[in-house]
Amino acid sequence: MSNPSTIRESRGSRAAVMALMFLLAIYFLLPVYFLIVAATKPQGELATTNGLAFSHFNLFENLRILFTRSDGIFGRWALNTVIYAVLGAAVGTLISALCGYALAKFRFRGREFLFSVVLGGVLVPTTALALPLFLLFSATGIVNTYLAVFLPSIVSPFGVYLARIFANAAVPQELIESARLDGAGEFRTFFSVSSRLMTPALVTIFLFQFVAIWNNFFLPMVMLQKESLFPITLGLYEWNGQTARAPLLQESVITGSLVSIVPVIIVFILLQRFWRTGLAAGSLK
Amino acid sequence: MSKTVTRTRLAAVAAAATLVALAGCSSSAPSDKASAASCTPAKGKVTLQYWNTVPGMDKVVDLWNKKNPDIQVQTKNISNDQYGTLGNALKAGKAPDLAQVGYDELPALRTQNAFVDASACSAATAAKSKFVPWTWSQTSFGGTGVFALPQDTGPMALYVRSDIFKKYDIAIPTTWDEYAAAAQKLHKADPSLDITFFDPNNAEWFNGLLWQNSAQMYSYSGDKWHVTVASDQSKQVADYWQKLIAGKLVRTDLANGSTQMYAAYQKDQIASYVGAAWGYSMFRDNLPKQSGKWSIVPMPTWGANGSSGDWGGSTVAFMKGSTHLYESVKFNTWLNSDPEALALENQLGGLYPAADAGLKLPALSKGVPYYNNEKVFDVFADSSRKIDTNFAWGPTQKTVNLALQDAMAKAAAGDGTLTDALSAAQAAALKSMKAQAIPATAGK
Repeated sequence: MSNPSTIRESRGSRAAVMALMFLLAIYFLLPVYFLIVAATKPQGELATTNGLAFSHFNLFENLRILFTRSDGIFGRWALNTVIYAVLGAAVGTLISALCGYALAKFRFRGREFLFSVVLGGVLVPTTALALPLFLLFSATGIVNTYLAVFLPSIVSPFGVYLARIFANAAVPQELIESARLDGAGEFRTFFSVSSRLMTPALVTIFLFQFVAIWNNFFLPMVMLQKESLFPITLGLYEWNGQTARAPLLQESVITGSLVSIVPVIIVFILLQRFWRTGLAAGSLK
Repeated sequence: MSKTVTRTRLAAVAAAATLVALAGCSSSAPSDKASAASCTPAKGKVTLQYWNTVPGMDKVVDLWNKKNPDIQVQTKNISNDQYGTLGNALKAGKAPDLAQVGYDELPALRTQNAFVDASACSAATAAKSKFVPWTWSQTSFGGTGVFALPQDTGPMALYVRSDIFKKYDIAIPTTWDEYAAAAQKLHKADPSLDITFFDPNNAEWFNGLLWQNSAQMYSYSGDKWHVTVASDQSKQVADYWQKLIAGKLVRTDLANGSTQMYAAYQKDQIASYVGAAWGYSMFRDNLPKQSGKWSIVPMPTWGANGSSGDWGGSTVAFMKGSTHLYESVKFNTWLNSDPEALALENQLGGLYPAADAGLKLPALSKGVPYYNNEKVFDVFADSSRKIDTNFAWGPTQKTVNLALQDAMAKAAAGDGTLTDALSAAQAAALKSMKAQAIPATAGK
């Protein structure tokens, strides 16, 4: 017994919601706005002009300094971040998908137990694992190498969870049966049939992993000592620690921060469509 | 287990060997002999670890590595948690061969047995003549060993807005009395104008002021520390600033190096700055529009006492556990006294050298455009040589600084005085030393 008028909100409440949303948008975007403004200023105007108003436009000079400072180490950090984030997210997605798919579509003893263990993994924050991982890695001797950051990055319990849920819902058992009847092996079935149907979930997992690795700070801080292996986050942190001695570094830290969020914004906008579908699918099941 | 035994035995043998080597010529305290090491060159290639917080230090080290294929140095920047990183490494027995340590942190780390005495190396003891006198007296703990080599210093001076002083026809003050009088005149001429600011959260700066007035915070004799944080000389400095604060002649709401501080200077609200040598680039880079308006003159003095103070600076310490003392001394000496190295450190890291050779660098003999082409480094070099060599830091400097800051913040808010702050710091120092079982008494 539903009356359409009770579902449609009144004009007043609609306006109130819009106002609240507007306020929240300002609240969330203000730091980004500040970052953009500050990144366009020369060092000498950072402290001496209004923080929220543009002054002398110096963005291109700031960028030039940023990318040439210390023999262009920032470019190296950016490249490292891309390697960690893109490769890490890609491999992580593949592993999660295979694992989630297997948990969804194959019956074997201990399946539910295994799944519960993976789910438990979702609850453990990655920060808490950084130190044990460090001890483990220093025993194996891969501390201070690309692998030290890459290996932990390809593990995503949440990805496994999402992949299982999605595979259950989106890949009909009959389709797999018919692929098998046609003579396809399990991997062939997965890559040619199932993974296509799971695309929205895969994109979601990829995005999650990408953003998590891109913003990861603590793990590289614990693992890495060599500057040439740093991701952007750690590099900027190191620069920021030196601003007391080298004041001009401050502007490079700010410009570098702005540069570092651009790729994330681009990836988000490009993959937004998939992201939403995947997220909704995960939340309903 | 057997490993520990071997190591202990080795250490004992090494210590015995050193004792024999040093017999008859050493006057160091007994506790140092255990940590004194032998100074034999290694056979073959050696790799040293050197941790620091100096921007661009990797470039300086590259220069060394190119010239010395047999002594390769690896650097690590520990700017973000210098003493935490160092402390953890020491606990884990993984300290580097060399590490940057501030002068005021040396005694505390020495109490924790963090250093090795390099005086077994003749090159280390011979380096004494290369450095500004007060720096050597601190790194050698009054000549009891060589635990570090001085790297940079922060000789203090007065930064003044000469245009403002000229505008109100006030002479640039040369004594603290004149400085207080000028503060009054400036404030009368323009109520929104203050002569400077007192940063209640900066004990390091305040210590520099105490140091200038020959205030001894600690001394060591008869096997115990004498804590004199609240000496008469200290009280004279505290009273002086207390009067300026009470008379509302100085701002107390600004933190050194903060955005607010630069904004206040930008708005012509403050006419001078009691600062150190490393501050010259802070003003140049953050207040470019005031180019040509600033001068740097000697710090105002206390009557007949013409000394200057120091604020900041660091040493490169020989860390315990280093197995390559000979090579460490060689690199450390080069790093902190070779003109080419010093020039690069000054250019990239803004270091103001502790070495005499450094004070004569071409870059430090030129006029600086921002400061009206004045030769400002001559002022700092002069200041550097006038710093009291008797001043010593204590093993609980961090505790003293925190107690000072707590009470100074209260005094700035009108609750208590700066003299109270000194008493609080004195009590905190004694308490902390007692807790660590370091023998100490209150001195006068």
